[in-house]
Amino acid sequence: MSQSIVINNKSYVIDVPDDMPLLWFLRDKLQLTGTKFGCGMGLCGACTIHLDGQATRSCVMPVSAVAGKSITTIEGLSETGDHPLQKAWLDNKVPQCGYCQAGQIMNAASFLATNNQPTAEEIDNAMQGNICRCGTYLRIKQAVADAAEEMYKEV
Amino acid sequence: MNITNESRRTFLKQSGLATGGLVLGVSFAQHSTAASKLGLESDFNPNAFIHINENGDTLLYCGRCEMGQGISTALPAAVADELEADWSRVSIKQGEGNEEKYGSQATGGSASIRMMYIPMREAGAAAKGMLIAAAAKVWQVDADNCTAKNHFVINQLNQQKLGYGELATLAATMDVPVKPKLKSKAEFKYIGKGLARHNQGDIVTGQLTYGVDTKMPGLKYGAISHCPVLGGSLKSVDKSQALKVKGVLAVIEIPRFDDPFGSIGGVAVVADNTWTAQQALKQVKIEWDLGKNKSYDSKVYKQQLVKNVENPAQVIHQRGDVDQAISEAQQTLKATYTGGHLSHSPMEPNASVVWVQKDSCEVWAATQSPGDIQKVLGKYLKRDPKDILVHVTMAGGAFGRKFKCDYVQEAAVLSEKVQAPVQLTWSREADMRTGFYHSINAQHIQAGIDQEGKVTGWLHRAAFPPIASLFDPSIDRPPEAAISDIANHPFGIANLRSESGEAIAHTRIGWYRAVYAIFYGFAFGSFADELAHKTKQDTVTLLNNLYDGNTHPEQAEQVRRSKGALAVAADMSHWATRKNLPKNQGLGIAVHYSFQTYVAMAVRVEVKGDDIKVLEVDCVIDCGQVLNLDSAKAQMEGAVVMGMSLSLRTEIVFREGAVVNANFHQYPVLRINEMPKVNVHFIESDAKPTGLGEPGLGPFAPALANAVFAASGKRHRDLPFKPMSI
Repeated sequence: MSQSIVINNKSYVIDVPDDMPLLWFLRDKLQLTGTKFGCGMGLCGACTIHLDGQATRSCVMPVSAVAGKSITTIEGLSETGDHPLQKAWLDNKVPQCGYCQAGQIMNAASFLATNNQPTAEEIDNAMQGNICRCGTYLRIKQAVADAAEEMYKEV
Repeated sequence: MNITNESRRTFLKQSGLATGGLVLGVSFAQHSTAASKLGLESDFNPNAFIHINENGDTLLYCGRCEMGQGISTALPAAVADELEADWSRVSIKQGEGNEEKYGSQATGGSASIRMMYIPMREAGAAAKGMLIAAAAKVWQVDADNCTAKNHFVINQLNQQKLGYGELATLAATMDVPVKPKLKSKAEFKYIGKGLARHNQGDIVTGQLTYGVDTKMPGLKYGAISHCPVLGGSLKSVDKSQALKVKGVLAVIEIPRFDDPFGSIGGVAVVADNTWTAQQALKQVKIEWDLGKNKSYDSKVYKQQLVKNVENPAQVIHQRGDVDQAISEAQQTLKATYTGGHLSHSPMEPNASVVWVQKDSCEVWAATQSPGDIQKVLGKYLKRDPKDILVHVTMAGGAFGRKFKCDYVQEAAVLSEKVQAPVQLTWSREADMRTGFYHSINAQHIQAGIDQEGKVTGWLHRAAFPPIASLFDPSIDRPPEAAISDIANHPFGIANLRSESGEAIAHTRIGWYRAVYAIFYGFAFGSFADELAHKTKQDTVTLLNNLYDGNTHPEQAEQVRRSKGALAVAADMSHWATRKNLPKNQGLGIAVHYSFQTYVAMAVRVEVKGDDIKVLEVDCVIDCGQVLNLDSAKAQMEGAVVMGMSLSLRTEIVFREGAVVNANFHQYPVLRINEMPKVNVHFIESDAKPTGLGEPGLGPFAPALANAVFAASGKRHRDLPFKPMSI
């Protein structure tokens, strides 16, 4: 019996070799290209997705290992692109080329789900697996801090 | 420059645009003349155009390539400003490869804004003039009684309004203003402000299409292994195991293509997905004949360059008598500075889709130069470059690498062989090991100083394999053009000689963001600080004296603006009170002029043992008028990040002819946890706008080296300061 996987709340049959990383299943089979290829070794974070809510590097995660699990990609982070992080990214005008930003945002979303009052140092530690070559780090720091405030503000 | 009314032209229908409305083209005279001479009037394409639809939707094209520098926002914003368009009604499309239509699309040298600022504004102003003329006709009033504001024309006599959409078709019948009046600075609404990038919404939702992202029915996928050494060739290949892998369509040899931007040579697998192609590639047994560069060792080579600059070399420029000045000097100082190869390593590795068919060739690529793709593919396929249709995608970073199109030519080979569209995505390892690298380099400076501490003589030798070697491999040292930065430097020194040392290229050398300004900035900026310490002067005072010594009228502006930026950087960084910094901290300063822009930087560091922590960077820029304050600031933040990577750690190492570094673990670019505070200040100016993509790099490394010296007494003269041993 073929295995299946849930991606952005939709179920897909895994019809590729077992060892194919989730990244290439997403990109080449499902044509969900928001998740980017950067290094293929889990070194740069461009391919970050959520596996049951946890930030995971999809370039080193065999698709067979995540069968039956629930995956969220940048395309499924929010219905209308209005996740507090996405809004903070726009407000801070974070992107330059933008290539790494999906991975940055997915990594930050998983981090903020477990930390509602991150310090600057905690943000640094959480985000240091994600490389940005254009140099948007200052704005990423600010956007993550802003989003945390928005998400956890006292109502 | 001509602005032409294109509203009735047939090409619009062919390009699938809605008809009706107002369409203006911008063209350079030589093209329109050539076109009309040849009787090609009906095929005449303008360089860029503005299209205002009957519902007011406004489409602006950007012919220059976007790689994150923000040009596809900055130039259309300049058009929209003069047009008095409502920015929320404007959409932007990246122009396809067509230099007759868009002017030069070779996006490099920090030149886009310098070249396109006025033409783009004039196009916007002309369209506005036609919309006003149309409204005046409707109202039967003099055009002088009408003004345009935010997508409407207003009748000043009775405050009636007509929208741009309502006026567009009538406006298309009006004469194109010959010399449209441009706005004054005070009237700008977008220029000089901080508009967000037009595509950032698509970026944060993962919708923007990059070079790696093109998909289409029937698409096949490629992976490639290159010849590791420049000039090597394939000795043998065993494809049998790879061909057994399920999903593999072909294993294809790609010979080196004889063009500076062509493939270095390799073997590729085409499969029904990228992963299968990558895995099967590992099953291909390849033997290379490594050729004449097989013993290239960059560490040994750097030492050879040092010898070449510490001994007499080929004289390029001289003024006065430097030997006499140095022999009669009260004091002398000499130092040698070096730097390693660098790989651009944008986050998006080289990738494109090419579809070669019998009578067409279509390309989707992240590129800095679609015109070069047309030329190279035209040469490879023996077709007219104009017949190569290049769709320019967003580039996920480029930094000079995507000026070259070897990856596109390789995809063309694969598409031709398998007769299908092929997406070739290089692995990170391929990207890092098959580059067009920043030159490894050495410079030696000797100076003579008089009793007052004034520099009287300056001997400056440089040796680095030049970019020119890519086009002419017989070039064995930096040519005059690559050395002229020394004699043209705005320091005023009466007796100066520049010399070029032998430096034969053993790999492909290319433009890397800021190019030679990286090492010239490093040598000039570091040596000035060394001179100040030697003569017990304040570095800022010494720099000002060096500039003041320049009495050449043609360099008066360079002197004035360099000093201006330096003064503000000194002020921002509290240079005067630097002695009060905590223990282990130091402040360094440098200023460099490159790409017609002036940048001064002050860097504050903390040094403990070998650990260098960059705390704060003050950047002061004089680039004339700033088009987009926010993305201009982003360029400086980016320059600091790239400057830190190349100053502290990144270096491409060659051994036995091949690059050793494989991936980011061996090319440790800066990460977020080391990011310093960055303060950016632009000098208020009405001077013509100049580029910003590159000039931020020149002063960074010397300012950092000077800061480390101030903090610790250790002088770093080799980039990077802390190379990784690999």
